[in-house]
Amino acid sequence: MANRGTAQRPNGSTQGKICQFKLVLLGESAVGKSSLVLRFVKGQFHEYQESTIGAAFLTQTVCLDDTTVKFEIWDTAGQERYHSLAPMYYRGAQAAIVVYDITNQDTFSRAQTWVKELQRQASPSIVIALAGNKADLANKRVVEYDEAQTYADENGLLFMETSAKTAMNVNDIFLAIAKKLPKNEQSGSASTSGQGRRLVESDGQKAATGNCCK
Amino acid sequence: MNEEYDAIVLGTGLKECILSGMLSVSGKRVLHIDRNKYYGGESASITPLEDLFGKFKAPSPDESYGRGRDWNVDLIPKFLMANGLLVKLLIHTGVTRYLEFKSVEGSYVYKSGKISKVPIDQQEALSSDLMGLFEKRRFRSFLMWVQNMQEDDPKTWDGFDPFNNNMSALYNKFSLDKNTQDFTGHALALYRDDDYISQIAILTIRRIKLYSDSLARYGKSPYLYPMYGLGELPQGFARLSAIYGGTYMLDKPIDEIVIKDGKVVGVRSGDETAQCKQVFCDPTYVPDRVKKVGQVIRCICLMDHPIPSTSDALSTQIIIPQKQVGRNSDIYVSLVSHTHQVAAKGWFIAMVSTTVETKNPEVEIKPGLDLLGPIKQKFISISDYMVPVDDGLNSQIFISTSYDATTHFETTCLDVLDIFKRATGEEFDFNKVKHELGDEDQ
Repeated sequence: MANRGTAQRPNGSTQGKICQFKLVLLGESAVGKSSLVLRFVKGQFHEYQESTIGAAFLTQTVCLDDTTVKFEIWDTAGQERYHSLAPMYYRGAQAAIVVYDITNQDTFSRAQTWVKELQRQASPSIVIALAGNKADLANKRVVEYDEAQTYADENGLLFMETSAKTAMNVNDIFLAIAKKLPKNEQSGSASTSGQGRRLVESDGQKAATGNCCK
Repeated sequence: MNEEYDAIVLGTGLKECILSGMLSVSGKRVLHIDRNKYYGGESASITPLEDLFGKFKAPSPDESYGRGRDWNVDLIPKFLMANGLLVKLLIHTGVTRYLEFKSVEGSYVYKSGKISKVPIDQQEALSSDLMGLFEKRRFRSFLMWVQNMQEDDPKTWDGFDPFNNNMSALYNKFSLDKNTQDFTGHALALYRDDDYISQIAILTIRRIKLYSDSLARYGKSPYLYPMYGLGELPQGFARLSAIYGGTYMLDKPIDEIVIKDGKVVGVRSGDETAQCKQVFCDPTYVPDRVKKVGQVIRCICLMDHPIPSTSDALSTQIIIPQKQVGRNSDIYVSLVSHTHQVAAKGWFIAMVSTTVETKNPEVEIKPGLDLLGPIKQKFISISDYMVPVDDGLNSQIFISTSYDATTHFETTCLDVLDIFKRATGEEFDFNKVKHELGDEDQ
C-alpha cells in the first residue's frame, strides 16, 4: 500500500521513539482546511481545490529532537457543512487545528464555535491550534491579527496565521503542535487509543476477496 | 437541498450507511438525510447515559453510574464475526481505519439450567462438560470431518454428498445425539430455529466453518466488538460516503417522498425538494410500503458485575437454544463493558433478546435474565420486524428490513448486498475503492 505519508521530513534525523497522534481539522467550509493538509503532507497547492473529496485520512511525520511525531490527520470530508460531523470524528483526537479565513469575519466566529464544540466533545487534554488561513490575501483582511491572538491566549490555543498557497507557517503550526503534545509512554500508541485493535487483511481474507460478496 | 441527486438515502442506520458508502464509491451523487440529529437510527449507540434513561422515560441516573458521557449504549445487540461479511466490507472499503475492535472473551451455550463454554476445536470438545465420553468422540470426528471437507473436492467428503443430503443425514452419519445437534446448530452454526435440519447440509457446514475460521483469527471467541459501541459502524461508513462526495444532513425532517407515475422523483422537506432517481431507506421512512412480519424483544440491563459462571469475562455471548427452554427461537444474551468504552468504570451492559412468540414477551426472556445476577436498571423494548412489500424495482424505492434478532451482522450484510444489486443491477465492485485517496495506515 502507498506509504507516501510516512516519508521522513528533512528537519531531523535521530531515530528516537515514535509517537502517533490523531489530529482533526475543523472550520467553516472553504476556509482552506484541505489545502493546509495537502500543503503539509504533499507540498502541493491547488488554487481551485474542489470541495473535499478524498483527502480524508493522511499521515505525516514531524521530527523533533529525540522523537518522531506521526500525525494521523482527519479531514471533515465536508460533513461539517450541514452540522453533520459524527462524534467519531472527535473521538480520541489528541490535537485539532481550527481554521478560519482572515478575509471573512463569519468564519472567525464559527471557529470560536468549533473551539467550544471541541471543549465539549473532545478529550480535555486535546491540544488546539487556531489557524488564520489565506494570510497571502492581506489586502482583503477583515480579522485583525491581534484580535485572534487575544482570543487564542484567553482560551489557551496555539495561534498562527497561515497560507496554504505560499506555505507560510504551514509546517510551523504542525511543528508547534508536535512540540506541545505530551510524548510519554501512553501517547506512543495513539492509533489504539482505546486499547482496541485495528483489523487488517489476513492472507485468508485476501484469498476470499473474490467471492466474499456474492 | 434543492438539487438533483442519483440517490437519496433516508436514515443513518448501519444498512443505510453501508449502502450510501457503496453508492458514493460507485460514482453516484448521494444525498444522505436523517430526521434525527444523531447518526445510527435504530442501530445507534445512545450517549450520554441521561439520554438513554430519557428515551425510556426513566428518572435520571444517580451518581453511582459515573459520568454520563462515558456511556455508549447500543439499542440493538450484535457482534461481528471475525471472518464474516461485515469485517470484509470494513477492510475492503478501508472503513476499518476509523475503528478499533476487541475480541469478545467468551462464547457460552445453555444446557439444562447452566452454561458451558462452546467447544470448537477437538481439544475443547474432549474437555467439554456438554457431552458424555462417547458422544465427545463422535462430536470430535464430526468436527474433523467439517474442517477437512472442501466443497470443490469430493475426495474430502468421505462418501457424504453435502449438496444432496440434508443436515439430519449428516448428524446421523456421526450418530450425534439431540443435545449435540442442539449446540452445533444453534451455538456454532448460529441458526435461530431448527428449520436448517431439513435443508442441505452444506449450508450448515459453511456456517460452522465461518465460526471456526472466525475463531482462528483472534482466538478466545469468533466475535469482535468495536470500541465505543456499534454506533461507530454507521458513522464509519457515512464517512466513507462523505469522502467520495456524499452530502450529509442530520436533523432534517422528511415530509414527503415525491412520486410521479409510480416512480420516485424526489424527497421533500418543508418547502425544499431534492430530486433523485432512487431512494434507499429504512422501514420507518415508508410506513405504507412495509409490512410487519414479527417482533423482536430486547432488554438492556445495566449491571455492576460480570455474568456469573463466565470466569469474570468482560464480554460474553450466551446462546440459549430454543429447545432447552421449550421455545421455537433461541434467546441471546450479550455482555459488553467499560473495557469497550461503552460504560463507566466498573459497569457492564447485558442485553437479552429474542424473537417474540407469545402475547407476553417479557416472560419469554426470563431464562436469559435469570443468568445475569442482580440487575441495577432494565430497559425493555419491543420492535416490529418490518419487511418491504415489494422489491422496489417499479417505484425505485429500496427499503431495508428491520434488524432481526440474530447475534451477528451476517443477515445485515446480505440484505445490504441484495439491495445494492437490485438497485444497480450489479454486484458491488471493491476495486472502485481507491485506496490512494487516503494514505494507508502504517
